[in-house]
Amino acid sequence: MAKLSNPTGAGPNDIKKNKKKRKKSGPNVVAMKVQAPKANPFETIWSRRKFDILGKKRKGEERRVGLARSLAVEKRKKTLLKEYEQSGKASVFLDKRIGENNDTLAEFDKAILRSQRERQLKLNKKSKYNLSDGEEEDFEIQGLGAFSERDDFEDELLPDDDDYDGESTKKESAMLNQLNAHKTQNPLERHLIEGGENKHKSKKEVMEEIISKSKFFKAQKAREKEDNEHLMDELDKNFTSLVQSEALLSLTEPGKLNALKALVNKSVLNEKKKKDEPSTTQKTENFSQDQPDSYDKLVKEMALEMRARPSDRTKTPEEIAQEERERLERLEDERQKRMLAPDYSSDEDNDDALKPSTQGQRSISGDDLGDSFSLEEEPRSKKGWVDEILERRDGNDSESETSDSSGDSETAEDDSDEEGSDEDNEEGENNLSLKDWEQSDDDTLVKDLEDGEEEGEEYDDDGQQMEPKPQKKKEKTIAFAASKRNGDILDAKKSKTDGKHSSTPDIPYLIEAPKSFEELSALLGNRSNNDITLILNRIRTSNAIKLAAENRKKMQVFYGILLQYFAILANKKPLNFELLNLLVKPLMEMSVEIPYFAAICARQRILRVRMQLCEIIKDPEISSWPSSKTLFLLRLWSMIFPCSDFRHVVMTPAILLMCEYLMRCPIVLGRDIAMGSFLCSMLLSVTRQSQKFCPEAITFLRTLLMAAANTKPVQCQDSQFYYRLEFKALRPLLCIRDREIEISPLNFIMLMDMPEDSPFFTSDTFRAGVLVTVIETLRGYVNVYEGLSSFPEIFLPISVLLLEVAQQENMPYVLQNKFKDVAQLIQTKAEEHYLLRRPLQMRKQKPVPIKLLNPKFEENFVKGRDYDPDRERAEQRKLKKLLNREAKGAARELRKDNSFLYEVKEKDKTLLEEERAEKYGKALAFLQEQEHAFKSGQLGKGKKRMR
Amino acid sequence: MVRSYAVKGKKRKKREEVYDREEEQEEQVAEQPVQDAKRDVIEKTSNSAEEAEEGKEKEVVNELQGIPITPSHQNADKAGVIFILEKASLEVAKVGKSYQLLNSDDHSNFLRKNNRNPADYRPDIVHQALLMILDSRINKSGRLRAVYVRTEKGVLIEVKPYVRIPRTFKRFAGIMLQLLQKLSITAVGKREKLLRVIKNPVTQYLPINSRRIGLSHSSDKLVNINQYVASAVSDADIVFVVGAMAHGKIDKEYANDFISISGFPLSAAYCIAMITTALEAKYNIL
Repeated sequence: MAKLSNPTGAGPNDIKKNKKKRKKSGPNVVAMKVQAPKANPFETIWSRRKFDILGKKRKGEERRVGLARSLAVEKRKKTLLKEYEQSGKASVFLDKRIGENNDTLAEFDKAILRSQRERQLKLNKKSKYNLSDGEEEDFEIQGLGAFSERDDFEDELLPDDDDYDGESTKKESAMLNQLNAHKTQNPLERHLIEGGENKHKSKKEVMEEIISKSKFFKAQKAREKEDNEHLMDELDKNFTSLVQSEALLSLTEPGKLNALKALVNKSVLNEKKKKDEPSTTQKTENFSQDQPDSYDKLVKEMALEMRARPSDRTKTPEEIAQEERERLERLEDERQKRMLAPDYSSDEDNDDALKPSTQGQRSISGDDLGDSFSLEEEPRSKKGWVDEILERRDGNDSESETSDSSGDSETAEDDSDEEGSDEDNEEGENNLSLKDWEQSDDDTLVKDLEDGEEEGEEYDDDGQQMEPKPQKKKEKTIAFAASKRNGDILDAKKSKTDGKHSSTPDIPYLIEAPKSFEELSALLGNRSNNDITLILNRIRTSNAIKLAAENRKKMQVFYGILLQYFAILANKKPLNFELLNLLVKPLMEMSVEIPYFAAICARQRILRVRMQLCEIIKDPEISSWPSSKTLFLLRLWSMIFPCSDFRHVVMTPAILLMCEYLMRCPIVLGRDIAMGSFLCSMLLSVTRQSQKFCPEAITFLRTLLMAAANTKPVQCQDSQFYYRLEFKALRPLLCIRDREIEISPLNFIMLMDMPEDSPFFTSDTFRAGVLVTVIETLRGYVNVYEGLSSFPEIFLPISVLLLEVAQQENMPYVLQNKFKDVAQLIQTKAEEHYLLRRPLQMRKQKPVPIKLLNPKFEENFVKGRDYDPDRERAEQRKLKKLLNREAKGAARELRKDNSFLYEVKEKDKTLLEEERAEKYGKALAFLQEQEHAFKSGQLGKGKKRMR
Repeated sequence: MVRSYAVKGKKRKKREEVYDREEEQEEQVAEQPVQDAKRDVIEKTSNSAEEAEEGKEKEVVNELQGIPITPSHQNADKAGVIFILEKASLEVAKVGKSYQLLNSDDHSNFLRKNNRNPADYRPDIVHQALLMILDSRINKSGRLRAVYVRTEKGVLIEVKPYVRIPRTFKRFAGIMLQLLQKLSITAVGKREKLLRVIKNPVTQYLPINSRRIGLSHSSDKLVNINQYVASAVSDADIVFVVGAMAHGKIDKEYANDFISISGFPLSAAYCIAMITTALEAKYNIL
């Protein structure tokens, strides 16, 4: 609905209008006002509502605007007008008659008040000694009433009675409050009088009442006490029965139960006592008051007793690692003890024997031979035996072994030094044998890494590397022999103990992470594959990153070394493929633990390999295809790092590197083809998930297919192949001459191991194998890239080529079928793509809808509430509004006062004016008459005549 | 308590001027920098519409080179449509302690107590009709000029075509309640009034040469709305007067023509849907 009419607001407007009217016809209005008590038509004006709102109470609507106005005028007349009239006078007449100022009092009330005052005056000091009439004597507190009615001009005396002093201040305030007080005090007086009468009567009664009451309460107390005792007895009985009923037994601990029972016994005793001397209840009470101590204690204990015991919390990974380490430590200790055992084996045996004998005896049957040969002891004895042999062989060696194996934290430093020296020497030997560029590279690489990574580590490493070198030189010869001996021992061991059963005990349970490659190769050198995995696992568990902060650095170093080990292993000619496979797992797990470092390692290696490629490719003599090491590393990284990332710090450069190999390396030998197709299949596996497009791989495969084609390729539109000059040399490489050959998948590892100029590479078997791999890889690519919108453009030429190759006369049937299959696949998929393609068309602009605006509104809107979210501002606004309103109201009042005064003045003025005009008229009339008489010449006579 | 009218009038005038100027300045400022992707075309005044078009083209060109775009047409200067919802039952009452928009569901007891027929209090009809109008393609394409709602009590409400009316009835009731008490609803974050109560009669807001068509089931002139709309003069604005009440019919004072578009009694929302589809067909808006 529209704005509601404000009844109060409508008033001033009306007044304003009235004012205007009044100005026009002032006297009328005045006259009207005089008539006000009679029917004033303006007073019948009611404020009106503009809109009917359902459910709204019509509270303020019966206000009569006109009436309010005339009331206001009346009020002004009484106050403002009086003041105004007074303002012109020098002296003031004050009406101090009693009750005269109070409008509310009727004439009769005033009379009463006045008579009261009169009587009080009689009782004043002056009239104190006057003889009274007697009837007023018993009116005790008449002063009270009298005092309040005292007027200002009678203030000469205060009542000297002390009784009223306390109340005098009250009286004074009451005096200000005026005569009404009298009325209120009258009933009060009456009440007081009544109260006094009550007191008189009750004094005896009250005492009686009190006595009876106290008696009653005493009786009640006694009864309660009895009841309590009864209850307590019952409770005690119940409690004893409960304790004896075993029900509690299940709930409480046995120790406490004992205490309980003791308590119960006591209480039973108490009871007995009670029974013995029932008269002395007081005593027992006292006793029980003391006694509850034990009982209370018990109750408190029970309350405080844990209801449920917390189970062991789940262990954090750190704790688990810690436990694992502790377990290994324990094992290690045992192992060392065993190793040192021979000296005091008897003691240990005895110690040990005590336990197993008890256990073992029950299993020993009567058939037992009595040599106490049991399964449990077998390995120990065997170990001892091996150790013995080892010791017998070489005392020195055993020493080194102990030092080697004792990875205890206490002796770690010394040991590592010794180890370092030993292994350095061994490494030296290795170096001689390997003599590989990679070795040095990798060393520097590690250094580089550490340069980049952590200075502390670098420092460590440098220190280590600086240290062993002089030692190396010194001890070279000795170490050489030692290592030889070592090898012998191990050989011997192998020969004597077959299986890992016997070899595992040699591996220390706690192994410090090797800090250099030499250490590692010493540790792993000449071990079986299983041992190596075991060693690696133990190194990792004993140096788990979660155990200590410094372990991270250790593990990082160890990771770098392990990677190096992996790389060197991959480059060895008789490829230890199994071991490589085994190494992958720890490497992967470690790179999860130290992803950042692993990524840096990989990147650095990739960078290096790429630089080498750039160097090598300049020289056409050397095959620039990647070494097996690079291939294995690439494969490893593709397994470690996520291949499907859009951009990955390692995988992106790795893929680029692979593509670069495929693109830039000239295909000269059969081995290159194998390498290339391997790279292609690896790229396929890498890009399978992410569906990244590698044009290099496709081009390479196509090149291979072209090489397989016998016919001279028509110089087709593919200019991209022109630059591959080696293409011509490639020509005969993959042409199969014999139709009848068995086709077997190529073993890449085997191929890698083969010498470059092996005749196998020129055989038809190899060619067929390569073609099979090529076609399978191609099929994979087709499947991967089928989503690309440019699929037909990429693969259709290849399908043509495939068909062409398949048509060759020497092609085996199996291969032909495969070629045709893939060609068919490509064509069907290309068809699908063509189907989906839409002609190019104008880009349609979508019609832009008009922008819509949200309206701002409140959920529960209440009119007049400020919905400002800023509280302070809202508050301020509210206050401002209030202030404004008040100011306006005040201004309005003043304005009305002014207009009222103006009216009054105007009235006076008009009165004066009228008077003056009348006088003037009279005078004028007199003068005129005289003039007239004078003119007419009847000054004397005329008068007479007129009369 | 009471403001003096003279002072208020002066103030308002001044504010309006300032407001306009500010808006214009804002527009100019917005025009000068690189064209903003998001612009509301409708809010433009006629002189700034050209600039907006230019801006739009430029922006599209920036967006995609080489491919030509079909020219976009603005409907700002073309013939528009105005809807008037007559006899809408939007009434506020004091239910309990709070004011509420009366509807037949929630206040049936209250209405019966006050001797009203609950069936007459159907603000949901207005809600549906408004949604139907504002959701139409006619509105999205900018052809809708305004919507006026006249309540049963005679309160005239102007609804801007680009207001997003709340979809739920409860919120709609809230907004109407606030509108009827505060007399205007502004946009969020702007001072622009989206809904406001204006003075009667509604004819003073209608374009001069507009064709006013009243719709009533009671009319004898039964027409096919598609043909009827198609035959209408295309460059003049069309005003449709639709009743948004449950029972009864609208006054035909200011309607030039009084038609019935179906033999069946239709709901206001469906009737509006028919009209808008016919108009969309006429103006070829897809």
